[in-house]
Amino acid sequence: MSDDRLFLSTDKPPAEPASLVDDFTPGLITQANHHLCPGCGEPIAIRAAMEAAEELALAERTVAVFGIGCYTAFAHNLDVEVVQALHGRAPSVATGIKRMLPEGFVVTFQGDGDMVNEGLQEVLHAAARGENITCLLLNNGVFGETGGQMTTTTTLGQRTKTSIEGRNPHQHGHPILLSDLTATMDGAAYVARCAVNNAGNVARTKRYITRAYESQMAGAGFSLVEILTMCPTGWFVDTLEGPEYLQNTLAPVHNIGELKTP
Amino acid sequence: MSERVLIEGSEAMARAAVAAGCRFFAGYPMTPFTELLEHMAGLLPEVDGVCMNAESELEAVGMAWGAATTGHLAATGSTGQGLSLMQESLSEITNARLPLVVFNMARGQGDYFQATRGGGHGDYRHIVLAPMDVPEAVELTQLAFDMAGQWRTPVMVLGDYYLAHTYQAVSVPSFDTAAPEVPNWALDGSTGGSGAAKIVSPLGGGVEGEEGFDLGAHYAACAAHIQAMATGVEPLIDAGFCEDAELVVAAYGSVGKFVRYACLRLRDAGHRVGYIRPITLWPFPSEAVHKAASGSAKAAVYEQNMGQMVDDVRLATMGTVPVEFIGGPSWDHSGFGIGPDINVPDISERILETMP
Amino acid sequence: MNSPLAGERELMLTGIGGQGVQLAAQVIAQGAIADGKEVLVFGSYGGMMRGGNTDSTVVISDQPIEAPPVLSATWSAILMHHQYWAPLRVLISDGGLVLVNTSVFEDQLDRDRYRVVEVPATDVATDLGNPLLAAMVMAGVYGRTSGLVSLDGLVEGMRRSVPPYRSQLIEANEAALAKGWEMAA
Ligand SMILES: Cc1ncc(C[n+]2csc(CCOP(=O)(O)OP(=O)(O)O)c2C)c(N)n1
Ligand code: SF4
Ligand SMILES: [Mg+2]
Repeated sequence: MSDDRLFLSTDKPPAEPASLVDDFTPGLITQANHHLCPGCGEPIAIRAAMEAAEELALAERTVAVFGIGCYTAFAHNLDVEVVQALHGRAPSVATGIKRMLPEGFVVTFQGDGDMVNEGLQEVLHAAARGENITCLLLNNGVFGETGGQMTTTTTLGQRTKTSIEGRNPHQHGHPILLSDLTATMDGAAYVARCAVNNAGNVARTKRYITRAYESQMAGAGFSLVEILTMCPTGWFVDTLEGPEYLQNTLAPVHNIGELKTP
Repeated sequence: MSERVLIEGSEAMARAAVAAGCRFFAGYPMTPFTELLEHMAGLLPEVDGVCMNAESELEAVGMAWGAATTGHLAATGSTGQGLSLMQESLSEITNARLPLVVFNMARGQGDYFQATRGGGHGDYRHIVLAPMDVPEAVELTQLAFDMAGQWRTPVMVLGDYYLAHTYQAVSVPSFDTAAPEVPNWALDGSTGGSGAAKIVSPLGGGVEGEEGFDLGAHYAACAAHIQAMATGVEPLIDAGFCEDAELVVAAYGSVGKFVRYACLRLRDAGHRVGYIRPITLWPFPSEAVHKAASGSAKAAVYEQNMGQMVDDVRLATMGTVPVEFIGGPSWDHSGFGIGPDINVPDISERILETMP
Repeated sequence: MNSPLAGERELMLTGIGGQGVQLAAQVIAQGAIADGKEVLVFGSYGGMMRGGNTDSTVVISDQPIEAPPVLSATWSAILMHHQYWAPLRVLISDGGLVLVNTSVFEDQLDRDRYRVVEVPATDVATDLGNPLLAAMVMAGVYGRTSGLVSLDGLVEGMRRSVPPYRSQLIEANEAALAKGWEMAA
């Protein structure tokens, strides 16, 4: 794995000796050699989620439930207990776990295709039930793993493999703003949306995830953190253009900020 | 064992499930499964268990999946359409090697193939137990939980409207409220941070990119496990009067009880007819069926469908006796699987017409 | 060889909703269990509203029950009302036992085919203070004439069958069972 920015940022030889990727790997991620694309936002989001768990000392009570998407690769890369669920079905699996382990900490990792397309009813029902779990939505506005097709969160005008001329409301309908929808539900305690396209947003992401975890540990009810992530591959843009594309395409529609706090 | 009580099939199965250690149930109402769900909702809180009235069958099976990962005995169930919805999960739960009991309260017998062929995607099978009446349902419910735990696999109990709504005198086992033993593969979060946190996945275990993570090897192990069940699960069958029978009739479940009764009456009237009633539908008791039918001139299969188990009987007998299908679909106005043709005189007549 | 069916006795009950047909079936079945017998009961699955069709099947034996839940022949019958009894009429076995509630039943019976016991159950129940006790009177008569359930069994069966919110009726029910038993002497 290489980070292009390291090479672009300087033309001088490095001032310090090289350090291994492992040095930067948070404690609860077992190895850094994931198979996700360079410039992908999902590892950043997962890293924030694992750092937050570590800082709140949740490691020894966590069960993470994974949906199906590119992030699924991390199911085998974490040093917390993991249940691999089906595409869209993580919230009900998480429900079964949490009901049997009320003292446990249960978090789902799902993409927009997983949570907002295939499994929309699952997340809404879990929210309505006030299920005391945390769902993390890694929203890149496309089905990344299957090659960049339109999802329900794809924004108007956004070009994907199945909306080649851009998403057109007459033909493709309108995007679902999941966090806004969930925030209207009584069972939802904490709902926030953030992004990982710059350092400030990454810090904010970790802050929001931490608040969601705290709300679960306080027994407040359902929590959702939607994290806008880059998918340069599925967006068909250069790796380095991902953050800006996110800012211009997803962020104006899926607005960043806390939508509901306990 | 507690005292004998008059109890409806649904309640008897619910009580047997809780007595067998079931501590989690999730379901979505559908006749004739609904009463089982209602009884579980009433009973599970007595033992600090959880019953979820799930928002759909998709979610019911998902919840049961999650509960099963914690090592507590979990169950779900439904009827035809609901089972169809659950198949994707049932297939993957099998590959995740999780114990689960599935109560399939079917409408009629049209779902034999769905129940015995895996039902969902992938190359797998479930153990399927088909009780003929309430006392047997109590026994097989206990067995289902035992087998699910022993083999770490979903086990299906296949019932129907008749079973759900018949009252019979049975001894219902009492509840054991002692905290159940949690198996070592179960999750409770505690191995996090150890460097070797557990994972429960239909894709197998191991750390990606390292030795031990190999989807091909996992699927091979799953296939080997199905094979081990196929040969290791003891096939159960009930058979009678086959030694000197001219005709042997096969049937399963509640309908099997009608057929069995018809055969008993025909025997009383001097007809040389025998019956075979497979109790494990998978693994199918092929050897026993073969043996029971081999002495007779002919075999017949009665099912409340277009002919599904008849294929298994033909495979079991391998052409050694002619096998005739004498059943057929039969529905009353309710659509719940009550068959106007499912009565002893009509069944007896078909049997007599088939006698060699 | 002794047939496994030899000891099985079937009872079918018919009436209109509100006559206590389901309760009578329960009391007889529970009574048989209290006496240590094997029992199977299958109620009708249609809407059992007041005034509508209601029937029930009970099978009693000393051995595990071989009969399936839906029967095509019955050794005995309790006819609380004639309105919905046509399907049952043809199922009564030759030489069987038929208890008829003569207070309301208005139809012909094939008296040469089976033994008919006439019970003015609704009138007797009215004399006891409540026409709704008719089914209990019938159950009492049935226990004794059939020889299948003891009076103690019936009383115990009734106690198990009456829902808690009806417990004030237990005494009256017991009196009705005893009255029926006495009438069958
Ligand atoms: C029932 C089902 N349908 C389709 C798929 C194929 N599939 C795998 S990943 C995926 C897209 C995932 O999209 P998303 O959740 O947004 O994750 P991303 O890859 O974008 O991170 C699809 C459609 C599947 N696994 N299961
Ligand atoms: S396709 Fe998109 S979401 Fe998937 S790894 Fe690549 S960049 Fe990430
Ligand atoms: Mg996506």
